[in-house]
Amino acid sequence: MSTTVVEAIRKTVLVDFTPEEAFDLFTAQIASWWPVGTHSYGGDSVKEVVLEPGVGGRLYEVTADGEQDWGSVLAWEPPTRLVIDWQIGDARGTEVEVTFSPEGPGSRVVLEHRGFGGADPRGRYADGWDVVLAPFVETASKKA
Amino acid sequence: MGTNGIVLDALGDWTRRQIFDALRGGPRSVGELAARVPVSRPAVSQHLRVLKDAGLVVDRKDGARRIYSVDPNGLAGIRAYFDSFWDEALGRFAAEARKERE
Repeated sequence: MSTTVVEAIRKTVLVDFTPEEAFDLFTAQIASWWPVGTHSYGGDSVKEVVLEPGVGGRLYEVTADGEQDWGSVLAWEPPTRLVIDWQIGDARGTEVEVTFSPEGPGSRVVLEHRGFGGADPRGRYADGWDVVLAPFVETASKKA
Repeated sequence: MGTNGIVLDALGDWTRRQIFDALRGGPRSVGELAARVPVSRPAVSQHLRVLKDAGLVVDRKDGARRIYSVDPNGLAGIRAYFDSFWDEALGRFAAEARKERE
């Protein structure tokens, strides 16, 4: 089996906000800073960006036409950690993890976007199911 | 969405993403792919052509059949796209989180 692994993206920013404030800004107030003009499906027609709190919460954009999902919350641990199952722009099956830790009077925010090229656990599960289902598919394809 | 627009368009189609996801598990022939997605072989071939044009998959001949696999360089392209995507998004976030508090 050949699995392609592409290195994760890692970004760090230092901010004045405390981890509590930074976590709140990143989640509840995401619409106040997210660059929708370039980072969305609807561009300038996007009216709102919503990140619902809690595991299973949805991350989506709202336009006049309705809602478009960007992903869903896999881990919700305010004010230190957030993991999102990322679906925007095609990177389906990738994960974005954001961690917030105290740094001086403010905080350090680290974002990791990983799982490009099937390096994520779900990619391996997909392979597992392929193995399990292969005989079934084989049999189901033979009739004729 | 930037220089990787063709890549993102290629993966913007639900069926094509299913095909691409199947290839992430390992190289497969058109017939094997057609057994996994609810479209005909000719349709699978057409989707594969779009994925190939976008640089996401490569193919090689294996006897009478053609085997398709994920092109690691294509994935690197998606990664590069998101690398600058996050630079800009986090830049906006950081600017907002540096504002004076009222």
